[in-house]
Amino acid sequence: MRIHFSRPDFLAGIRDMSPPLIGLLPFGLVCGVAAQGLGASAWGALGMSALIFSGAAQIVAAQLIAAHAPIAVIVLTCFVVGLRLMMYSAAMAPHLKPLPARWRNLLAYGLTDQAFAASIRRFRESGDTHKGASYFLGTGVLLWTTWQASNLAGYWLGNVLPAAWALDFVVPLCFLGLLVPALNDGPTRSAALAAGVAVVVLDPLPMRLSLICAGLIGIATGLLVEARGKR
Amino acid sequence: MSATLTFWVVIVAVGALNYLSRLSFIALFARVPMPPLMARALRYVPAAMLAAIVVPPVALRGAAEADAALANAKLVAALVAALVAWRTRSTTATITAGMAALWLARWLLQAAA
Repeated sequence: MRIHFSRPDFLAGIRDMSPPLIGLLPFGLVCGVAAQGLGASAWGALGMSALIFSGAAQIVAAQLIAAHAPIAVIVLTCFVVGLRLMMYSAAMAPHLKPLPARWRNLLAYGLTDQAFAASIRRFRESGDTHKGASYFLGTGVLLWTTWQASNLAGYWLGNVLPAAWALDFVVPLCFLGLLVPALNDGPTRSAALAAGVAVVVLDPLPMRLSLICAGLIGIATGLLVEARGKR
Repeated sequence: MSATLTFWVVIVAVGALNYLSRLSFIALFARVPMPPLMARALRYVPAAMLAAIVVPPVALRGAAEADAALANAKLVAALVAALVAWRTRSTTATITAGMAALWLARWLLQAAA
């Protein structure tokens, strides 16, 4: 089956992802500063942001490299920090299944918190693999390009955005903007509420395990409330 | 091992594992059918994960966050943003309203302090 590229959906992905990008700039700069602090070359900084392509994992890796942690510990810790990506992968799987393998393999690389949250909504609302995939590609291309550029800017220029602007707050606001309209029924609201409470209670857990554990607790709560409603 | 080599080994290994995590279930469920319970559970992934991502930066005060006015302004801004998100279903409007509320609330709280 050929992929039918939908230009309007690709452009919609780019358009929708543009405002949230403002929130990623400070994060990208911080990651670039971290690579510079490790004494990496510019190629090293670019390799880090392109290969890992995840702010949380890059920061954790940089901190552990600086602390001279054993390589196995660094790799394992970053894997645990990235466990949520497997959950996104599972949620995306049914939508990407009709695509050729090479497209699935390419789109998987673009799976980030932002791209997932925006694109899963597009897949569900359009109910069309090709429209959803084109939109996903648009969000991914824009996020990827901005991420590499902001990492390099941080590497060369340092942290140039004033902290007082609190631009990093754009990131939770973007996710809030995607979360609230999705709270359409009881089980979904219960899932979000349980996950929100759990992430605060579990905050002391190491390696950002609170995030994935809270997600699993939320999902289980959604399933339980759904099952009770059916009886 | 030299520092440069260690750096590259780490970023290649972490990058490869990150990519495999992203690909994992996409590749698996392209080949085998998904268990029905899992298919039902996936309906709640966005709501649960988005809530888990949103709540800490809004509600938890980091050790570095000495600025009490900013921490309280974040709570106000998140409430305003949630209302706007509910009414408009637009992330752009949500971000714009939330940042405006954050700056305004912080300015007012600092002026009051």
